[in-house]
Amino acid sequence: MRVLHLEINCDRITTAAPDHWTLLEVLRYELGLTGSKQGCDKGDCGACTVLVDGEPVLSCLTLGATAEGRKVTTIEGLMPAHLKSGGQGPDPVQEAFDRCGALQCGFCQPGMMLSARALLDANPTPSRDEIRHALSGNLCRCTGYTQIIQAVELAVAEAAGTEPQSPSWAPNTNPWKQNERLVRERSAGDGGGVE
Amino acid sequence: MAARDQHGPDAPWPDPATPEKNKFQVVGRAQRKIDGLDKATGRAVYTDDIQLPGMLHAKILRSPHAHARIVKIDASKALALDGVHAVITGADLPIKYGVIPWTPDENALALDKVRFIGDEVAAVAATSEEVANKATRLIEVEYELLDAFMDPVEALATKSPQIHETPKNPERGNVSKHVELEFGDVSAALEASDVTLAQDFRFHGTTHAPIEPHCAVAQVSPDGVLTLWSATQITHYVHRALARVLEKPASQIRVIQPALGGAFGGKSDPFALEFCVALLAERTGRPVKMLWTREEVFYAHRGRHPMQMHYHTGISKDGKLQAVDAKILIDGGSYSSFGLVTTYYSGQLLTGPYDFPNYRFNSTRVFTNKPPCGPKRGHGSVQPRFAFEVQLDELAEKIGMDPIELRRKNWQGADTKTVNGQRITSNGFHECLALVETASAWQERRGKLPHGRGLGVAGSMYISGTNYPVYPNDMPQAGIFLKADRSGLVTAFSGANDIGQGSSSVVRTIVAEELGLDPLDVRVVAADTDLCPVDLGAYSSRVTFMVGNATIDAARKLRKMVVGVVAKTWEINPRRVFMGSGEVFDLENRGQKISTREAFHLAETELDTLGTTGAYNTPKLGGDYRGGTIGASPAYSFTAHVVEVTVCTETGRITADNCWIAHDCGRALNPMLVAGQMEGSAYMGLAEANLEDHDVNRFGLHAGPSLLDYRIPTAVDTPELHALIVESLDPEGPYGAKEAGEGPLHPALPAISNAVYDAVGIRLRELPFTPGKVLSLLREKAEREASSTPQEVH
Amino acid sequence: MLRMQPFQLERPTTVADAARLLTELGENTMVVAGGTDALPNIKHELFTPKHVVSLADVEELRGISIEDDGTVVLGAMTTVDAVSKHAEILARVPALAQACGLIAGPQLRRMGTIGGNVLLDTRCQWYNQTYFWRKALGFCLKKDGSKCHVVESGSKCVAAASNDSAPVLMTLGAELVIFSHTGGERRVKLEDFWRADGIFNKKIQGHEILTSIRIPAPAEGHRGAYGKLRDRGAIDYPLLGVAVRLDLDGAGVVADADVVLIALQARPVRIKKAPDLLRGQQPGTEAFEAALADLAAAAYKQCHPMPNIPGDHDYRREMVPVFVRRTVEAAANNSGPVHHV
Repeated sequence: MRVLHLEINCDRITTAAPDHWTLLEVLRYELGLTGSKQGCDKGDCGACTVLVDGEPVLSCLTLGATAEGRKVTTIEGLMPAHLKSGGQGPDPVQEAFDRCGALQCGFCQPGMMLSARALLDANPTPSRDEIRHALSGNLCRCTGYTQIIQAVELAVAEAAGTEPQSPSWAPNTNPWKQNERLVRERSAGDGGGVE
Repeated sequence: MAARDQHGPDAPWPDPATPEKNKFQVVGRAQRKIDGLDKATGRAVYTDDIQLPGMLHAKILRSPHAHARIVKIDASKALALDGVHAVITGADLPIKYGVIPWTPDENALALDKVRFIGDEVAAVAATSEEVANKATRLIEVEYELLDAFMDPVEALATKSPQIHETPKNPERGNVSKHVELEFGDVSAALEASDVTLAQDFRFHGTTHAPIEPHCAVAQVSPDGVLTLWSATQITHYVHRALARVLEKPASQIRVIQPALGGAFGGKSDPFALEFCVALLAERTGRPVKMLWTREEVFYAHRGRHPMQMHYHTGISKDGKLQAVDAKILIDGGSYSSFGLVTTYYSGQLLTGPYDFPNYRFNSTRVFTNKPPCGPKRGHGSVQPRFAFEVQLDELAEKIGMDPIELRRKNWQGADTKTVNGQRITSNGFHECLALVETASAWQERRGKLPHGRGLGVAGSMYISGTNYPVYPNDMPQAGIFLKADRSGLVTAFSGANDIGQGSSSVVRTIVAEELGLDPLDVRVVAADTDLCPVDLGAYSSRVTFMVGNATIDAARKLRKMVVGVVAKTWEINPRRVFMGSGEVFDLENRGQKISTREAFHLAETELDTLGTTGAYNTPKLGGDYRGGTIGASPAYSFTAHVVEVTVCTETGRITADNCWIAHDCGRALNPMLVAGQMEGSAYMGLAEANLEDHDVNRFGLHAGPSLLDYRIPTAVDTPELHALIVESLDPEGPYGAKEAGEGPLHPALPAISNAVYDAVGIRLRELPFTPGKVLSLLREKAEREASSTPQEVH
Repeated sequence: MLRMQPFQLERPTTVADAARLLTELGENTMVVAGGTDALPNIKHELFTPKHVVSLADVEELRGISIEDDGTVVLGAMTTVDAVSKHAEILARVPALAQACGLIAGPQLRRMGTIGGNVLLDTRCQWYNQTYFWRKALGFCLKKDGSKCHVVESGSKCVAAASNDSAPVLMTLGAELVIFSHTGGERRVKLEDFWRADGIFNKKIQGHEILTSIRIPAPAEGHRGAYGKLRDRGAIDYPLLGVAVRLDLDGAGVVADADVVLIALQARPVRIKKAPDLLRGQQPGTEAFEAALADLAAAAYKQCHPMPNIPGDHDYRREMVPVFVRRTVEAAANNSGPVHHV
């Protein structure tokens, strides 16, 4: 057992784990941060992707102890960080994934969204080809990647104030626009509760 | 169309003030999923995310032999290891089970024999996974080796040893299931056909590879109630199987499916880990979890059956199909799983979207000593569809007809019956063909692209659920409870398994539509056998159709209650009362309105606690012959693909550049989710064609049980997928909806093969389409052409 | 999930400390750099170290520098991602950037180090498997067993060197700097570094640390390219890798050439005839094309892929001349890498 001093999602955390535990094991089974997923056991699928000092890496091939002294961001950290920086709701990448239907089973997506977040941090206006390459270390079995790419492109377009390319099933429209609104604006006097 | 748009005898009445286009308030819009943000933020709880106080971890000892008798198991050393709490073996769970009640041939842990490398032999519960792993290695098993079969031809020819012994009928050998059916007079029709083709096709093994590995957690309360959380797509069948194997009243078992990380048919059998954690939890009095490694998921398999297929098809000169004669050998692997159904499906599901008057199929499923095959997306019908659609392309060429034209010409149409007696209602295949033809610029480009580039088409049909419940009963196939709360919230309790396809989102959409609610005021509790009415599970593409109809049923009952009370209060005809946009108002006096919440208060005051149930059962359908109900569905979906490929003649690599997917889903309740299913299906089909191969090596060992060696495509390996939705408005589907999750996989494989022919003139009849295979066919073609050149000179 | 067997982790912060630890801890100690090869191998119990010395905190091993004479020095712990994107690498030795940019997938490139890639364990379909799988097989020559399943009755392990960077560095005449507590620093030319033994194909000892890789200044008219055959466009190891160096003189004529292949056998394979065939030829001419055809044929003759790594080895052999020709052309045209996506 080794006492670990980690910085996870901006929190300084002290925990303990055996030397041979990976960061993924520490996150999931010590800290209860189960948003990072385990899919392949050994670095083949990308579901366990986290950001270490802003770079997407595989937590299943990172020893927990070697994460000391580095800033780790997991999927759980994106929304709080967005709120802290003055934003509203989830991170725009998370929002876009949800609005585009990119989350089917959702299991690969924490890793996928962190790869996407890192891409947009480094390159706010990636081409479709750049998006495909940046996400090529994250296997998704549900979507055929189409709605994932659309989600990243939607996030890019909205950040730039441009219109995203329409999907084939809704030509010449932006079907995701209507999904902007998440929380219903309730009319005055409607407490929404039980009287 | 408008008439068919109505559902049931008590149809919803649209607000006459809203234009026709917006007749629906929620249905037809690209809605977010009900669980999307939970998944996006890492909050969603999947099975392995569950941690219970005092929880033990279990692991399984697996067989290193492909076929062997178990002589002795000695677990004493494992039990003596510090941290080990229990060890169980086959003797502890002796009752056999199987998802199909007619073929129970599985034991949670091998009872007398092991049948493939990876078969489960013993299970250990310990304080940690590491201790459990260590303990499994301390279990000593003595085996007596038996001859193993890897080749279905050999397994069929050799009757002994039997992989599953049938002492009363040893002549059965290794046949798992045999089906032979003939409709019309095939031999005579083939004889009379202008043109016939008889060819062999081969389909390899492929697997689901959901990113989430199987996992189960069990806990037993002091009064004996067993709760199982499992990554399953069939909560109800797991519930039944647990009761059977554990000999425990089903009422004392609760099965819950947490968020699920993909399934595709790979989680639609009861699995060893579910029984093991349940028994281990009973034995130890502690919660027990078992999480399979990726390698173990490959052993659990239940993926696509390899098939060797022979198709003999006759056609008239003017392009009318006359007869189809199919003979299919199915490699079942080591257990039955859904194999009985697979064997029927391999023939029964070919009889659309084309009409042919004579049809015969002869399908034999054989046991082999490999991981068991089962239902993978497009169960049983993807393989024959591949063969048939490639053969159609060849027939079109033979008679000099455009392949799309040939398909159009043989389209069976709507409201008809197939040659094997299945009822076809809505059928949008014609429109599917038109859409992919236009979108791909087929007429301008097919046959005219430069050498190395080509377009290929293929079509398909698939079921929207099946009339045949897995166990015979006349109870509803799907059920829903609705609870209307004083807060204005409606909660739906749905037995359906949301495996990522969005079934709970569909329930929300329908409840919101029917009750005029904001979707955010509808919540869904799903896949918990204690809380939810029975649904049979997420398989056979049944959920939208069946659960959708059950939801409509429940929601209309609730609306009727609320509307009735409001009408009575306002002293008007109930038909004037409209529920929409979170309000209830008088259609003829729009100023007279209250919020839905207030309407719920009125109704609850008048009628007591507000809730309804809804159910769906299929009409009695199917051909009047043995097996005639297998493949019968209340509605069929239809798909057409055009795939554009580039073939590198030097490396043999096939690159799919574009895939246009036109799918008749009846009605798109949420077009974004429909498109997601279409794209995901097409992706999976393309991957099976070009990359994936699930096989064993010469030792019977899985050739590469990892996501490194089983190559599912990455984002850079996936073509541009263009989903084109066709709405045929099925008369019995919820608002006309049918399935979208499996049908759109089928045409991908034959469409690639046909596109490769257009590109470089070779016919790929054996999957997978490896570059080496392409090169060797190109060489054969070159040799053929070289040797035929002199003849052309004459 | 697949768990690792317990080990004790050491986290030195200097090369000296790391080297001292390796000597002190003795046998059963393993160095882990990026972890992308070592950790899967530990999970598969191909290695069951008692001690692991992580180099993650040894900052002096990171970074790329250019010496006055144009020598490029790569710290062994520099990630292959950093190598692939480094402006000086792209400009001076483009084939190395290309090869590093095609290793595995984006996350693995950000973790995997150039030193780790040079020292990558050889790979084989009968070896890179779990303990259960290998035990069911009866193990193999490379680990825990006595039989080779690639060459039945073979007495020598033929697991394949599968490191994309190694053939490129060989064409560049790279030199490895290796440090140990007992022996201090030594240098070895990469081409002299290999052993023809798949069990362990490197001339480095357990107590030694690869600290840096030195690439001599390339010739004035240096051209380079890397070609990689694999099934998927990402994540996969090479089924075949081809590194090409062309040195053009002032007139654009090939003054020297080197072609080295990977993913064939235990060592990288140099195409012996490459310099003779290409020297004196001018890219773009018919004579160059003819020489290239001869080179491709020579490569085909010299290279015999075996069923060691997954994939159809006959097909891999068929691709040898194709990838050799394409990669030489890519080097000549500065259009590398040769890769399908």
